[in-house]
Order: sequence, then C-alpha cells, then structure tokens
Amino acid sequence: MQRRAWLVAVSVTAVIGGGAALHQAMRRTADAAPRPVLDRYCVGCHNDDDLAGGVSFTKIDKSDVGKNAKMWEAAARKLRAGLMPPKGERRPERAVLDAAADWFERELDAAWDRAPNPGVRPLARLNRTEYANAVRDLLDYDANGIAATLPADVSVAGFDNIAAALSVSPALLEGYALAAMQIGRRAAGDLSMGHSETRYAAAPGNSQQRHIEGLPLGTRGGIAVEHNFPLDAEYEIAVQAVLPAAGWGNPTGRMVWCDGPSVELAFNGAPLALDGHRRIRVRAPAGPQRVTAALVDGKRCAGVNELYLGEVALEGAVLGIVIDGPYNATGAGDTPSRRKIFVCDPRSAADEAPCAARILAQLATRAFRRPVSVGSAELEQLLEFYRLGRGEGGGFEVGIQYALSRLLVDPRFLYKFEREPPDVAVGAIYRISDLELASRLSFFLWSSIPDDELLEAAAADRLRDSQELARQVERMLADDRAQRFVENFTGQWLRLRELDDFPSQDPEWDADLRAAFRRETELFFADVLREKRDVLTLLDADYTYLNERLAAHYGIDGVRDSYMRRVALPPDSPRRGLLGQGSLLTVTSAPNRTSPVGRGQWIVRNLLGAAVPSPPPGAAADLAKEAVAKTQLAGDTVRERLEMHRANPTCAVCHAIMDPVGLALENFDLVGRWREQEDGHPVNAATELTDGTRLAGAADLRAALLSRSDAFVAALTERLMTYALGRELEYYDRPVARRVVRDATAHGRTLQALVQAIVASDSFQERVKTGADTTATGVAAQARLE
Amino acid sequence: MRYLTGIHLSRRALLRGAGVTLALPLLESMIPAGMRTAAAAGAPRARLACVYIPHGCIMNRWVPTATGRGFELQPILKPLEPYRDRLNIVSGLKLPAAYVGESSAAANHGRSSQCWLTCTPQDTGPTPTSADQVAARQIGQGTPLPSLELALEAGASIAYLSPQTPLPMETNPRVVFERLLGDGSTPAERAARQRQLSSLLDSVTGEVAALKRDLPGADRERLDRYLTDVRELERRLALAADSPLASIEVPDKPNGIPADFEEHAMLMFDLLALAWAADLTRVATFMVSRELSNRVYPKSGVTEGFHNASHHSEIPANIDRLARLNEYHTRTTIAYFLRKLASTPDGGGSLLDHSLIVYGSGMANPNQHDHDPLPILLAGGGVGRLAGGRHLRATDGTPFANLLVSVLNKLDVHVDSFGDSTGAFEI
Repeated sequence: MQRRAWLVAVSVTAVIGGGAALHQAMRRTADAAPRPVLDRYCVGCHNDDDLAGGVSFTKIDKSDVGKNAKMWEAAARKLRAGLMPPKGERRPERAVLDAAADWFERELDAAWDRAPNPGVRPLARLNRTEYANAVRDLLDYDANGIAATLPADVSVAGFDNIAAALSVSPALLEGYALAAMQIGRRAAGDLSMGHSETRYAAAPGNSQQRHIEGLPLGTRGGIAVEHNFPLDAEYEIAVQAVLPAAGWGNPTGRMVWCDGPSVELAFNGAPLALDGHRRIRVRAPAGPQRVTAALVDGKRCAGVNELYLGEVALEGAVLGIVIDGPYNATGAGDTPSRRKIFVCDPRSAADEAPCAARILAQLATRAFRRPVSVGSAELEQLLEFYRLGRGEGGGFEVGIQYALSRLLVDPRFLYKFEREPPDVAVGAIYRISDLELASRLSFFLWSSIPDDELLEAAAADRLRDSQELARQVERMLADDRAQRFVENFTGQWLRLRELDDFPSQDPEWDADLRAAFRRETELFFADVLREKRDVLTLLDADYTYLNERLAAHYGIDGVRDSYMRRVALPPDSPRRGLLGQGSLLTVTSAPNRTSPVGRGQWIVRNLLGAAVPSPPPGAAADLAKEAVAKTQLAGDTVRERLEMHRANPTCAVCHAIMDPVGLALENFDLVGRWREQEDGHPVNAATELTDGTRLAGAADLRAALLSRSDAFVAALTERLMTYALGRELEYYDRPVARRVVRDATAHGRTLQALVQAIVASDSFQERVKTGADTTATGVAAQARLE
Repeated sequence: MRYLTGIHLSRRALLRGAGVTLALPLLESMIPAGMRTAAAAGAPRARLACVYIPHGCIMNRWVPTATGRGFELQPILKPLEPYRDRLNIVSGLKLPAAYVGESSAAANHGRSSQCWLTCTPQDTGPTPTSADQVAARQIGQGTPLPSLELALEAGASIAYLSPQTPLPMETNPRVVFERLLGDGSTPAERAARQRQLSSLLDSVTGEVAALKRDLPGADRERLDRYLTDVRELERRLALAADSPLASIEVPDKPNGIPADFEEHAMLMFDLLALAWAADLTRVATFMVSRELSNRVYPKSGVTEGFHNASHHSEIPANIDRLARLNEYHTRTTIAYFLRKLASTPDGGGSLLDHSLIVYGSGMANPNQHDHDPLPILLAGGGVGRLAGGRHLRATDGTPFANLLVSVLNKLDVHVDSFGDSTGAFEI
C-alpha cells in the first residue's frame, strides 16, 4: 500500500524561481550539495512517508555522500539517463539535473579515493567456453564437441563467467573428469579406442534451398563440418538425404572429401526412399578434416550461384552426415595435437622418463599458468599417473594419455587461483601477482590460458611495468584469439547467443538469416575494436557488414553472394548502428510479434545502464483485471495494448520509461525488416521519452541516445568491467568505472582504450585481503567503507 | 574404497577429513557399500520423482469439481485416465515462499521453480535443501547416484543442495546414458574407464590440502566443495562396481538430444525408468520446461510460445490455447512416464506400484504470476502405502510443504517439518 501511495503522489513543494536561475545558483556553489534540486524535485516522493522506490532523502546526511554511496550512485545514474524525475512530475531543464549528477559523481569519486575498494572476486572455475578454449590452446585439439556435453553454466548479471555462480557439483565434476579422459585419449591418439558414431545435422529450413557459403559453387543446400578423425583408420560415412519423389532431371549427390577429389554418391537419378542414406567407407588420416555433402541438380548448369537464390520450389535436401569409426586403425597419425604434445620421441626405454618429464613440464606450465619445473612436486603427481598408464601395458604413449587426463582434472587447471600474500594485513589492499594478472588478462581477452610470451613476461615480473602491460594488451587484441572476446562479449551483451535457439515464427527465419545476423553484429563490433573507432560508432555508423541474403532482408541493393563484406550506409539509412541490426531487433522481440517492452527494457538497461524498476506487488493482477474490463482493447495492435499499460498508474511507472524507447523502433518488424504498415495500418513510431524528448521514430531514438552518450559510454564500460572482472559490479566499482571512462576518453574513447583502462584499473590489478573470513568477499570488502 | 563419504556430510566433517583418508567418524550418512546389497535383497524399494511444469495452468480444467473418489477427470488430466487408481489430485495448496522477495514478473517466475521443492524463501533460512535432496540423503545413499536431475530444456534447476548449489539438470540423453552406465562402447571398455576414473579422483583428493594454503577463507570453502564432489564420485564408482545391471536390458547409447520434443521426453523418461529398474538411483527431479521458456510445441497445435501463451489476459480463446498446451504436456510427459512405469516389472509388482511421483507447478495462474492454488498431483503406489483414485482438497492456503512432509514420510524419510510447512497434509 505504501508503494501505491508513491505512485500517485505529486510533488506539492512550492517552486521558487525558474530552472535557469537554479542552474546559475548551482554553478556558483559548485562544491555545495545540490540540496535545492533535491528539495524541489525529489523529496516530494522520496521522503520518509512515501518512500518511493524505498528511497528517502529527508534525513540523509548530504554533506558526506560516502556514507550512503550505494544510494547516491543509484540516484546519480537515474539523473544521467534522464529517467528522473518521472514523467508527469515537475522537471527542471536538463543542465540542472546534469549538474546535480556531476556533483554527486565528483563527491563519490573523492570518497572512493579516501577509502579505495578494488573488491574481491571469489575463486572461480573455468566455464565451459573457457575450458574448451584452454584445451584448444594447450593441446591444439578442438574439444568443443566434448565440452558441449558438460552441464551448462549459469548466467549471472548477463554473463556466464561470473565467479560466484561458477560452483561445482558431482555431476559437473564427473563431466569434467569424463571429458578429461576423452580428450587425453583423443588428443594423444589412443590406438585401443573402439568405434563410435558422430552425427551432424544439416541446418533445416530454407537454407537447404540456397547455396551455402563454403560449399562448391553449383551445389544447393548441404552441410560442411570439420571432423576430428582420431586415428589413421577407416571410417564409414553416411549421408542422409531426401530426394523428391518426382525426381529432378538427373540429381547427383556429391560429397567432397577432405578437400580432395569429390566422391560421387550413387544418387544419380536412382529413386531414393525418404530418409534414405548412402554409405561409403574411406580411409582417412588422423586429425581435423573438412567433410561436406551437397546436392547438385543435374538439370541446371553448375557453377552459377545466383540460379539458386530465392529458389524455394525444389524439394529434397541433405539432412546430415554420420561418421562412424575408427576401423582397422593403422596408427595415431600426425595430428596437430600430437605435434603439440610429443615434443620429444624416446628412442630407448631409458629416454622415456626424461622425455615424459619434459612433455609434462611444458604442458603443466601452460595449463597451470605458472612455471612448473622438472623435479617439482606438481610434476611428480603427473609423472605418477604417467607411470600408472604406462604400467597398464600401453607403453609410453598411454602413459602420456593418463597424465594428460590427470592434468585436465587438476584444480590448478580447472580453477583460477589467486593467493593472499601472508605479509599483508587482513583488510588491506594488495596487488595481485604478475602471474595472476596474466591469467586475468588472458581470460578477459582470449577466454583462455595465457600464451608463452605472456607467461614469460609475467614470470619475469615485467607486467608491473605499465607500458609493457599496455603493449601486451595491444598484442593480445591484435591476435586471432581476441575473436573469442568479440564472440563471448557480444554473444552475451548483445544476446547473439540466443539467435540459434530463437523460436521466431517469421516465415523467413532460418539458419542463413540467423548466421548473417550474428556475423553482421560480430564483424561490426570487431571492426570498431580493431580499427580503434570511437565507441559511439556502435550507435551510429556509416557502414555495416552484409551478404546478399541480409542485404535483401534490409532492402539494400547491389550486394551479391553469400560472403559478408563491408557496405557503406547513407546518412538516412535506418541500419546505422546497433539499433538497426536484425540480430538485436529479433532477440528483443517475441516469437510472433515485436515487443516494444522487450526492446525498450534492453536499451534502457544496456545502453543507458539504468535498472528498470520492478512492479509493486499485485501489479500483474491489477492489469489482468483491467484487461477483463477492457476486452475490447485486447487483441488490437501492440501499441494499443501498451497504451493500456501506461494508462494504469501502477504499470506506468516502469512502462513510461521502457515503452516509448521500444515504440520508436516499431518500423522494424519482428525480425528487423523495415515496415511502413502493420496489418494494413500505418506504423506509428512517434513517441515521447521520459525527459520530454519527442521522437518520430528510430532515427530520433538514435539521436536521443547520442545526446546521452555519457550514459551509453558508462553503461558499456560497466558491461565490459563485469565481463573483465568476472563478478557483479557493486556501487564501489562505479567510481572506478568513471575513471576508466575518463582515461579512455583521453585516448580517443575507443574500445581498445576502454579495455586498456580497465586492465590498468585498481579493480583489475588489486584485491582486498579477507583472510579467514568465510562469509565472503563482497561483504568483507564493503565493510572497509563503513 | 574405505569409507563412504559424500555430499551429505557436513562441510566441517570434511574439512577435518581433508587430506586424511581415515579416522573419519562413522556418521549416520556414511553407509558402507555393503549395505546396498542387503537393501537390494529385501522388500521393494520406494522411489521418488518430482516432475515440474512451469507457468502453472488453467486451474479449473485441472481440478476436478467433485472431491473424494467419484470425480471426473478434467481435460488437462484426461490423459491420465488409465492410471486413475494410482492418482491423487491434491488441490488448494499454496507456495508461500515464492511470494517473498522482489515482486517483478521475472522474479516470480524464477521463484516458482526455485522454491517449489525448497519451500524456503530465497537467500533466507539455514536449510534450503530441496525435498528431493532430503530424500536422497536418506534413501539415495545406497545407490551409485544419490539422485538424478533431468530436464528437457537447459538453464534452470529445481534441485538444491544449498542456496548456492542448484544441481545442474541434464538434457542430453547420451550424457545421462554415460552417467548411468559409464563411458565406452563395450562393457569391458566401460569397466576399464571406470578404473581409470577412480584412480584419477584418488590422486586429486590428495593434493587439495596443499592447494588451500594462502587462499582466502571463502575460497577454501569453495575448494572444499570441489573435494566433496570428488569423494562423492569415488563413492559412486565403488557402488557402480557391483550394480545388478546384468539382469537389465541395456538399450543402445542415444546419440544426442532429439529435435522432436516428444521423442526427447520419451527417451529421458525411458532412461529414468532404466535407472530405477537397475537401482542406479532412487530419487529424481525432472523439468519438463523452465520458467519463462518461450518454446513452441509444434505438435500441440499451438503456435504461440509457451510463456507468451501463459499470459492469457483472461481472454477465453487464449485460455483455451493454454489449456491445450497444458493437456499436451500431460499427454506427452507424465502420462508416458506412468505408462512406462506401469509396464516395468519390479519385485512382484511394477515400478509404478513402488514409486511416488509429484507432478505439478510452483505457479498457479500464470497471468497473475501467483502461487496459490497450485496444480499438484501425486502418482504411484508408494510401495503399498498410498491409496489412489482420489481428489484430496486441502484447506485453502495450506502450504505445499505440508504435502511434501507426508510424501517424505511415506518414503521412510522421517521429518516433522519441511521448509515453511505448518504441519503434515495427510495422504
């Protein structure tokens, strides 16, 4: 009930003087608390009686904001994003509110400097993605297939690398242990392994009607996979396909094998039952090989790709490939992983032990992210396992397999250890070691373990030198592995990971469109990163990345074929910046319609960095009752249903903030196509933001966000910091985030500058010692401020 | 294996035991492996499964109008008609814990499943262990897996060891198969792999104590949890070594997650029935879908996503649509499971006779995100302890926990109270 009162409360405070005068007064007393602003525009609702949002400014000591830093941080944020005072309440001109926000932020920063707090990240295990990447970098072995069978990681604060959520369970540990054994066997080449089947399904739907990128010209649909053949051996490969009952003129199944000559499958016109398949047995060398299968329509000229574009009338498709093996193995072969592992080859029994020690010391150093020397206790544990495996009768290589499995379940590999120095007092701040910093850095930028160069720099304590550290960051961002940062960060921040399973019911929704959406956004983000562009480019860019399919989807002419390339956009293009990209517009929609609420909520949270207030108790029930009373409204356009939301004072508090933002994008349909009409009615994308800005549509929304670019840069920085630190940000991280923004702004405000500033920040390089306290981390650290 | 240790020991006991392989006190939960054989030879064993459906349902098409025995099954539960004698529909229950906390729609959805089996508000109370885990502690210790967590959609869990430790639920039938029967393509290969796994784990246990040095206290606790899990796995391996699998027909190893929902559901329930029949586990949780899932079920005839459809705005056509989805879930999941159990012989009866299944949701009317009155039913004979063919109506507002107290007691897991229970709802 208390909250309901807040919803209808209207400020009755007498207003003396205009906004401009107030602004001047504020300027004159730059160092005083903006009490007049609070008194005039805030305490009408935020007082002890109404407690709007659980916040009262009445009795709070406004002279030392450090005492209530958490609350003031939230207040400053609301002002920055233009979300307070709410619509319908009295509001001064923007400069007054911005000046108030400036004052709070300055005071909060000063309070932080008096009592710094870099926070504490709990002990984290590698998540599934990091695990697969680490195995790849350690052994040159693609473990994605095996890692996919591990239990999924929990996502917290929008990311799956948040330490507190990365707990273990018996099922998880069992998964890691089984994976370790499988990887050990396969990476080293286990000659005793039995055969097993791997199935690859072709992307269903419209994709099978068109040429697929990477398959030979002249083919239609199909599938291309990279299969890791474990041994030099024979394999049975079956292609599952459906051919039309009526038949084409002379349909030919074609399989392209190991980048070598293609194998004609005996489809040639012979009728094939539905779900029929053709099986061939081939001898394959161990290691990753590309296997593709596609259909060729004998009636059409091969090699002319365009012939198939837009073609939907043909039946028939490749359903998938099944690879079964190995049979009649002749050897472990020469694979990338074996080259990486077997750095020496014992010629005699006497050579074996020193060679094993050498192999394992090198791998353990990389896996444990710290020097492991021959003769150390850590190495001895691995050698013990090597001897166990060797004793099982398989000789030297089986010994190495066993030791590899042991290495991969070692807590030093699975966990990111950060130790507390014994000579530091509990509660004091200390810098983490260079080796720990190297790990933080590599998991941030590569989602994986450090490489030898980074490890060597850390082992020699060279990362203490800020120039060397910056040089390493630059080198790492230029490396191919930085693509993982692009994929994992955009995959979660911009929700690209959701595209694969997104159940849109649009008839054009298929694997090609999903892939093009994802790649457009990834390439765009990577471009802004690598080309060192101002991060505001993310909101407004004169280019994007398209292929023919996506260009057609966007109504852009002149882009042919299936590869993605950079395309210039005119000033009036709706596709400028993230808000015009199909990926984001789709995942923030419902499966069967647009969702202005979903879009608005995402933008407010992720581009303006504001928490969306929660509905008070009973809100949903009230709305339901109202819906029954007004059934004539239900079922009409989305916009009309939203008007109902906002007509209800209970709902309006949140929806007045989110809905207008989303409504401005209504010219984009549920999969991001541009539309002028919806169900025969003209689309109305005109709307008004909380701060009174009137918008005619998407272009105006983009301009409005650019006019709040500080809020956007802050929001992006905080998302980046959450990802980089692997923990949820707390109020005491906000001053650090602001410093990061200031430092980056001084260096061109590029994504690279933001990354550099985060790496250079106290939060990235320091910890608070918590000692024996087990209640944890954030709590102990927070106590420092109180 | 010397002693059986496991997740069910207090953390402190493990701390003392860390790095010391003997001299652990013989606690009640540390049952030697031999016990299992003794239990297996005796009376039929009771099994527990808790099967969760998100987004509540259309209540007046679930709850029969008449109480007692002479009721007519409503449309949503109609597919269960063949097992009527083994059913108890319990209406009028409430999940008070799910009302505590942030009031947003998303939070209410989340709590519906998170509090369903804990009956404890989030982040409060000393023992928010879920009911299935309370049961696993007592009746799951003699089997290789104390409990099995399965789902048809990833990303959520209803089984909680502690508030920080939801147990991950497995969606991949192939992974479930390997967990039940071991990795490898032949029995001999599987046995060899299990031996290797066992020595791997043994070796890791020894080094954890050294790793704890210089770690902050909270991190030590996290590492202890890792150690606990290692020991739990060792325990399972020891038990699995003398599993009565020889008498069970082992199906072919599944290849992955079937694209078709119904096929996926059947495969997962088949594996659960297999695990019960082979006495690999006695306790299971199963999520048909997760809260807020917008999955589309093409074969149900409803093209709207599940969560969207659940917001029916009290409009008759939308209500019909959600009811159709509700019925579809009954038909393709719990009805199939009961059929499978009824047709699987077990010690002179069927698995259905010897099990107790709780089926339902932690949400009531999804349009309002409320948690009262819940759609809940019990199935199975509970080894002759549970009558069937009844509609039991609880006094309005009776905590769901009261029912769980009785369910646990029927399984010989004796508790006086559980979560926010105010007594026992007699069944």
